[in-house]
Amino acid sequence: MSKRRPYVRPMGGWWKKNPFYVEYMVHESTALFVAAYAITLLVGLVRLGQGEAAWNGWLEAMKSPLSIVAHLAFLVAIAYHAFTWFKLFPLTMPPIIVNGKKLEPEVVVGSGWTAAVLAALALLGIVWRIAA
Amino acid sequence: MAPPVKRQTRKGKHPMSEQKIIEIEVLRYKPESDQAPHSEVYKVPFTDDMSVLQGVQYIKDNFDGSLTFRWSCRMAICGSCGMMINGIPKLSCESFLRDYYPNRITIEALANFPIEKDLVVDLSGFIEKLEAIQPYIIPKEPRTLEQGEYIQTPEQFSQYIQFTSCINCTLCYAACPQVGLNPDFIGPAAMALLHRYNMDSRDGGQAQRMELVASEEGVYNCSAVGYCSEVCPKHVDPGNAVNVNKINAAKDYFLRFLSPKGGAQ
Amino acid sequence: MEIYKADVVIVGGGGAGLRAAIAVAESDPSLKIALVSKVYPMRSHTVAAEGGAAGVKRPDDSFDYHFHDTVGGGDWLCEQDVVEYFVKQAPVELTQLEHWGCPWSRTADGHVNVRPFGGMKIQRTWFAADKSGFHILHTLFQTSIKYPSIKRFDEYFVVDLLEDEGRCQGVVAIEMATGEFTMIEGKSVILATGGAGRVFRESTLGGIVTGDGMALAFRHGVALRDMEFVQYHPTCMPITGLLFTEACRGEGGYLVNKDGYRYLQDYGLGPLQDKPKNKYMELGPRDRLSQAFWYEQQKGRTIEHPVMGSVVHLDLRHLGEAYLRERLPLIYEMAETFMGIDPAKEPIPVRAGVHYTMGGVRVAGNCESSLPGLFAIGECASVGIHGANRLGSNSLTELLVFGKVAGDEAVKKAQSLPPGNSATLLKQAQAAEQRVLALKTKTGGTERVATIRKEMVKSMEDGCGIFRVAETMQANCDKLAELRERFKNINLDDKTSVWNTDWLSAIELDYQLDVAQAMAHSAINRTESRGAHQRLDGPDGAYKVRDDVNFLKHSDAFYVPGSAPRITYGDVKITKSPPEVRVYGAAGEKADQERKASHV
Ligand SMILES: Cc1cc2nc3c(=O)[nH]c(=O)nc-3n(C[C@H](O)[C@H](O)[C@H](O)COP(=O)(O)OP(=O)(O)OC[C@H]3O[C@@H](n4cnc5c(N)ncnc54)[C@H](O)[C@@H]3O)c2cc1C
Ligand code: SF4
Ligand code: FES
Repeated sequence: MSKRRPYVRPMGGWWKKNPFYVEYMVHESTALFVAAYAITLLVGLVRLGQGEAAWNGWLEAMKSPLSIVAHLAFLVAIAYHAFTWFKLFPLTMPPIIVNGKKLEPEVVVGSGWTAAVLAALALLGIVWRIAA
Repeated sequence: MAPPVKRQTRKGKHPMSEQKIIEIEVLRYKPESDQAPHSEVYKVPFTDDMSVLQGVQYIKDNFDGSLTFRWSCRMAICGSCGMMINGIPKLSCESFLRDYYPNRITIEALANFPIEKDLVVDLSGFIEKLEAIQPYIIPKEPRTLEQGEYIQTPEQFSQYIQFTSCINCTLCYAACPQVGLNPDFIGPAAMALLHRYNMDSRDGGQAQRMELVASEEGVYNCSAVGYCSEVCPKHVDPGNAVNVNKINAAKDYFLRFLSPKGGAQ
Repeated sequence: MEIYKADVVIVGGGGAGLRAAIAVAESDPSLKIALVSKVYPMRSHTVAAEGGAAGVKRPDDSFDYHFHDTVGGGDWLCEQDVVEYFVKQAPVELTQLEHWGCPWSRTADGHVNVRPFGGMKIQRTWFAADKSGFHILHTLFQTSIKYPSIKRFDEYFVVDLLEDEGRCQGVVAIEMATGEFTMIEGKSVILATGGAGRVFRESTLGGIVTGDGMALAFRHGVALRDMEFVQYHPTCMPITGLLFTEACRGEGGYLVNKDGYRYLQDYGLGPLQDKPKNKYMELGPRDRLSQAFWYEQQKGRTIEHPVMGSVVHLDLRHLGEAYLRERLPLIYEMAETFMGIDPAKEPIPVRAGVHYTMGGVRVAGNCESSLPGLFAIGECASVGIHGANRLGSNSLTELLVFGKVAGDEAVKKAQSLPPGNSATLLKQAQAAEQRVLALKTKTGGTERVATIRKEMVKSMEDGCGIFRVAETMQANCDKLAELRERFKNINLDDKTSVWNTDWLSAIELDYQLDVAQAMAHSAINRTESRGAHQRLDGPDGAYKVRDDVNFLKHSDAFYVPGSAPRITYGDVKITKSPPEVRVYGAAGEKADQERKASHV
């Protein structure tokens, strides 16, 4: 009879074992903030549909200190999420090959960022013009 | 004359000639007498040119012949000698003791695999995965030997060459928590090999391999942790192969609705 | 004991074993193939080959040129009929590998590219960057998965051959994961166990290269041929012996001594060339280059390093980083990681190290040995193409060409023979099991595996070096005899069953001692200099030169239980190239022209 007795190590708490996993878990959990912010905006939209009073109430609520603190938290979490999301770009996209050479990951991440920043600026510009 | 020492860690004048002593803590497991693994610490004299593998060999040759590990080429190409070194999956033949000194270094069998004995893990599951992905050319256009070689342009070549570099060291499996949580997940290296054949201009087997890609053991087990690509000693980027195949599988799924013949052509 | 009945048993999952397995599976899918290997096939040492595989490719090349390079390179100790077959089959097999997916490096128009290699007149070395062996091995392994008739026994360690009715009928192996024995029957058995260079200290070889198959055949009365010819590679990493491929020089690298002088021009390889020129300077054959290193050392012109010892410099700087990264990526990485050297900025210190066993199990052109049913291929075999010195990049091709031959021959044999007598075979297998188990279980010994191994490799290095004299060769023979005795008194730290590598390395050491003895005694008996066997002694230095009158002969070492091997000599097959003076550089070119002129 075989004397083999393979030992399987437990997986419990695996994500604490390596800083890389911790970063991954933080990235994943910041997705909750993205969701929370989306819900906040969605509520605003619903309020808008319910008439002027409702909309104004929502706007007031947004100005409360609690809401401002929450939004600052959203900002930080979502910025982190975006940062790590861009970092995953080279992992998830088909490699881009230029002249028989794979584009360096830094270039891929960089172009992602550039596109995002440009889009944000354009949006800001539009909002600016509408507001003006 | 430059002594053969990695730049960043070069210390002293002739670092190779001094002997120092490093503590190596090894996770040991003897299936015939131990209930569970336990650690043992060895004090190993070393010179700056010595790899972690040589440290482990020193223990086997001089302290305890029963210490068990796999190795062969010593040059990071046969893929035998992977270990968790201070918790990180690495090839022990290209990791150097000098980079850990004066701290103690801990060594353990590759994570996410069952331990057979000491640093040897059970690889049979991994091998079955390699076999399952049809890792051979399924000719797109058959060709006789008299017709000579297939022509492959530099562009076609660059599509797949990166994914041929895998040495089957399984470091990426040790790095992947999803493999640990679901041992049936086909995993990074096998998926990279599948992708290698799919991307080869000589091959026409992508449709045949698609079923496995999209199956329960397939790419959707991956949650894009990305550590597999980080630890890969050969820059294969297996995580990319997995994730690109998520896109392929999704495309195939939708194309199936549109065309009665199915997608992935 | 587990029993498995196969038709063809293949021992070894390197390039040779895998190619043979595929040949059998393709030519008769109904035959059961057992592919046995002590490591997973892709760990086999074929994986480490860097430079490439030779086969005529360019229009300005010819089979005849490849033939003459090989025979001259082998110092006329080649079986010329076998070489003729080999050079013709080479391009066919390399193309076959391309069809199976091997990522050969290409020219800009998409055809397979070839590079220059030492001792080859025309560029004919097919390469996959500097990981040729790696790609060949993985391509073959992956392709083998296609064939359901190939049953692999991965991590099974063969300890004996079974022999009945005057023919070989199977093997006995240890399943490493359990420590239990399996008998694998077969009507043909193919040995493809690789070389034996690990009997030396500083070598380019992996830990598994311990000559197992050679020793197995040897103990069953089969001759080991030309074992004195051990190739030293001129450009190895000091201490570890890791290889910097010949392709470094094929791509244009220089070898310089401590004065920055390209010393090869002093050793019949000149005149100096700027660009790599076939068969000149750095592209001379390995034996000559390693010998030149030795002479430089004697003259005090090598660089002395406190730890690395005597070295010369392999200078790649003029090739530039981009070119090096494209053509020699592995070399670049190795220099960086293992030595902390950027080869685009600094020269690499190198020295000669043991690399290849030209000799091996004596087989005929059909790869069958003197024991019917037992075949041998690859580095463990001596089919006769390398003679006294192998040309780089001939051996990877050899794996393919003769893997195919042996596979086809093994099929014929298996189809024509009745099954063996299982009861007799089992009895033999059980006897082998008892013998091998005893090595593990016995107590009271005082010798350690590591100690005996250390003394063996040191002694071999001293007694079977680049240059040889009777005195140290005799000392080596005596030392090996002593170690053989002491081996009986061995004691293992590990007496368990599962994955007992202490036990397996003792069995390997046992094999190595046999093979080392065959080498040492073949060497001392050859009183001439030829190819890789160079002597500095003899009355008035008589052994310093080639002696075609007495030694245009193969040596055959036969096993004598409990004693030194018996050495005899056999004829060399000469078809169209009678021995000539072996010259390279300008002298070589002149000789070539004279030969051509005399043929017209
Ligand atoms: C660093 C290096 C570079 C090289 N470069 C080149 C080159 O550029 N060009 C060239 O032509 N040649 C080159 N060579 C030589 C060439 O690579 C080898 O001669 C060749 O690969 C040997 O192949 P093989 O199939 O005979 O043996 P291997 O690949 O060594 O395989 C041996 C097999 O036998 C198995 N085995 C051994 N013993 C047992 C046992 N007891 N039980 C079960 N299985 C066993 C092993 O597991 C393994 O699978 C190089 C060699 C080295 C070391
Ligand atoms: S993909 Fe990289 S890490 Fe994974 S097995 Fe292959 S070489 Fe190793
Ligand atoms: S020993 Fe081969 S990869 Fe480390």
